[in-house]
Amino acid sequence: MAILCDKNSKVMVQGITGGAGKFHTERMLAYGTNIVGGTSPGKGGQTVSGKPVFDTVVECVEATQADVSVIFLPARFVKEAAIEAIRAGIKFIVAIPEHIPIHDMLYVREEAVKAKATVIGGNTAGVMTPGEANLGIMPDIAFAPGRVGTVSRSGSITYYVADTLTRTGFGESTCVGLGGDPVLGSTFDEILWKFEEDEKTKAVVMCGEIGGVYEECATETIRKMKTPVLAMIGGIYAPPGKRMGHAGAIVEGKMGTAKEKLDILAAAGAHPCRTFLDIPETLKKLGV
Amino acid sequence: MRLYEFESKQLFENFKIPVSKRFIAKTSDEVYGFVENMAGSVVLKSQVLTGGRGKAGGIKFADGANEARTKARELLQMKINGYAVNSVLIELKLTVKKEYYVGVTLDRANYKIVIIASGEGGVDIEKTAVDHPEKIFKKSLSIKENLYSFDALLLAKKIGIPQPLLKESAYIIINLFELFKNYDAKLVEINPLVLTNDDKLIAADSRVSLDDDAVFRHVDLKEMGIETRHEEGEMTPRERQAYEWGIPYLDLDGDIGMFPGGAGFGIMGNDFIHYFGGKPANFMDSGGGPAPERIAKMLVLLDENPNVKAIFGARFGGISRCDDFAKGVIMFLKEHGLSKPMVMRMTGNMWQEGVRMFEEAKKENPELFEHIEFHGIETPIEEIAKRAVELAKEERGQ
Repeated sequence: MAILCDKNSKVMVQGITGGAGKFHTERMLAYGTNIVGGTSPGKGGQTVSGKPVFDTVVECVEATQADVSVIFLPARFVKEAAIEAIRAGIKFIVAIPEHIPIHDMLYVREEAVKAKATVIGGNTAGVMTPGEANLGIMPDIAFAPGRVGTVSRSGSITYYVADTLTRTGFGESTCVGLGGDPVLGSTFDEILWKFEEDEKTKAVVMCGEIGGVYEECATETIRKMKTPVLAMIGGIYAPPGKRMGHAGAIVEGKMGTAKEKLDILAAAGAHPCRTFLDIPETLKKLGV
Repeated sequence: MRLYEFESKQLFENFKIPVSKRFIAKTSDEVYGFVENMAGSVVLKSQVLTGGRGKAGGIKFADGANEARTKARELLQMKINGYAVNSVLIELKLTVKKEYYVGVTLDRANYKIVIIASGEGGVDIEKTAVDHPEKIFKKSLSIKENLYSFDALLLAKKIGIPQPLLKESAYIIINLFELFKNYDAKLVEINPLVLTNDDKLIAADSRVSLDDDAVFRHVDLKEMGIETRHEEGEMTPRERQAYEWGIPYLDLDGDIGMFPGGAGFGIMGNDFIHYFGGKPANFMDSGGGPAPERIAKMLVLLDENPNVKAIFGARFGGISRCDDFAKGVIMFLKEHGLSKPMVMRMTGNMWQEGVRMFEEAKKENPELFEHIEFHGIETPIEEIAKRAVELAKEERGQ
């Protein structure tokens, strides 16, 4: 088992004929991901990497029974694309692009909740179940099947954590890139709970960063979980009031400092880690 | 994107939210010219993209054009929280009977839009929320819902708006909500909403913050002269250079040049350097999928910074591919040359290609690579960070 996607997922790509869409479709296929097709309005009937292209998601779902979609489109088209996928019955959507307008994400979230669908992103590296499915842009080299789940706001942090877990033999059950945008399709607590319900996941590494409120909102879930949670927060030494790359990563007033986030998570029972090498040490101590 | 008060008041006016007649001036002589034709005391407000200007002395009152000119001159020489005052807003001074607060903002955790109102205006609303939560009233709505006038009326009643002004204040709240939705705002605030001695409601101060990622669909803003701006105070010359090159960059006070991949490790890598006893000279983010030219420019920023003693390079290729990264580094080495020691690690998408490019370039011009210690996935990134701290120490001669 894994969460969100596995080798049986039937994956489609929205924006499959674009530069990034094509390149990463090829990569995802090479990894063994079960890509069944994709969409590109006006380009129905073409193929990409041997997979059929449709004009609309409904047609793609009808022909291929796709149940997962990865979106590789410019940010301004994500709202429509995600809603199109949700209404076509897709239950899991990964929105790769960054800078999706915030109000658009509020609409997407409304639709997703109503349809009981899960949206990940924007500004995410994707979701990876090692050995089974690679949805997005994550580099294969960092990952190996195993027993630790990861969820992170940042792509690069996901890679470093997986790289560390792989090197030390723990491996990963599923790695979820929550996304770096200010309003995200899913929250830490929702993903943590999916890991809690997954038998294969023996511990979860959660990586947050300065800014926003998503880390703080995870505390209740962490308290309820039996699966141990390890927590890392980037930006302990970040200067206040300065935006650091991610649109969401800014300390506003006293809100969202890394120190405060880490303290709150630790108080809820998470095991704080400072560097990636602390992760295997902590896992060993916990007997994972 | 935060707007200046004079810009947000223009938006208020467009949405029929009552504001005073006002002038914007860039020089004290302009101020004199406007005030000469105004009857009564005036208020001069420095226009800066930061809060707390009142406490910092950024708001002054004046009687008559001469006094206004003198005070405007003082304001225009001020810096408030690191922001230079480049313009002054002039309005007639209001007679204040009572001050209210009305705002619309995002509740990111619950994916809602929240209308907030309080009978205690003119003060920091976050402080009121902590000290007197009972004085704050809220209405949460989903993005698809309307704000009905009965809800707005209820809010107005709760904060104690006098009966004769209830209907008018409800429309102010509704219009503020409409402004929020129409312009993809993150925050719109009237603080204070003033009840004057002659029983008029006026938005005395305004705060509007828009979503940078949605500005593209509000072309009318540009027509109003409202354009994307750099908001985090004054930039250092290097920050300005980076900004012009489109590279998110901040100067910090250490001596290790940070040359990371994405923002996530850009932020956390700085922590690592601190943990291992060093201090970063900067924050930097290459952005997703950077072109080789941008990679080269990132290195130029570090190499030309005299504070930088050693460079810490980290590339975990995701959307940013290692081959593009290697191309950028090689471009920099050939065109500019590296004058400082650099330790770096490169792995991720297209790493084989990246390594091959480095090896070929090194065979051709080995001298270009003499300051570089290169590592792949086999070395933990922590070791690279430690090595960077060591190199900086050696350079400092300790």
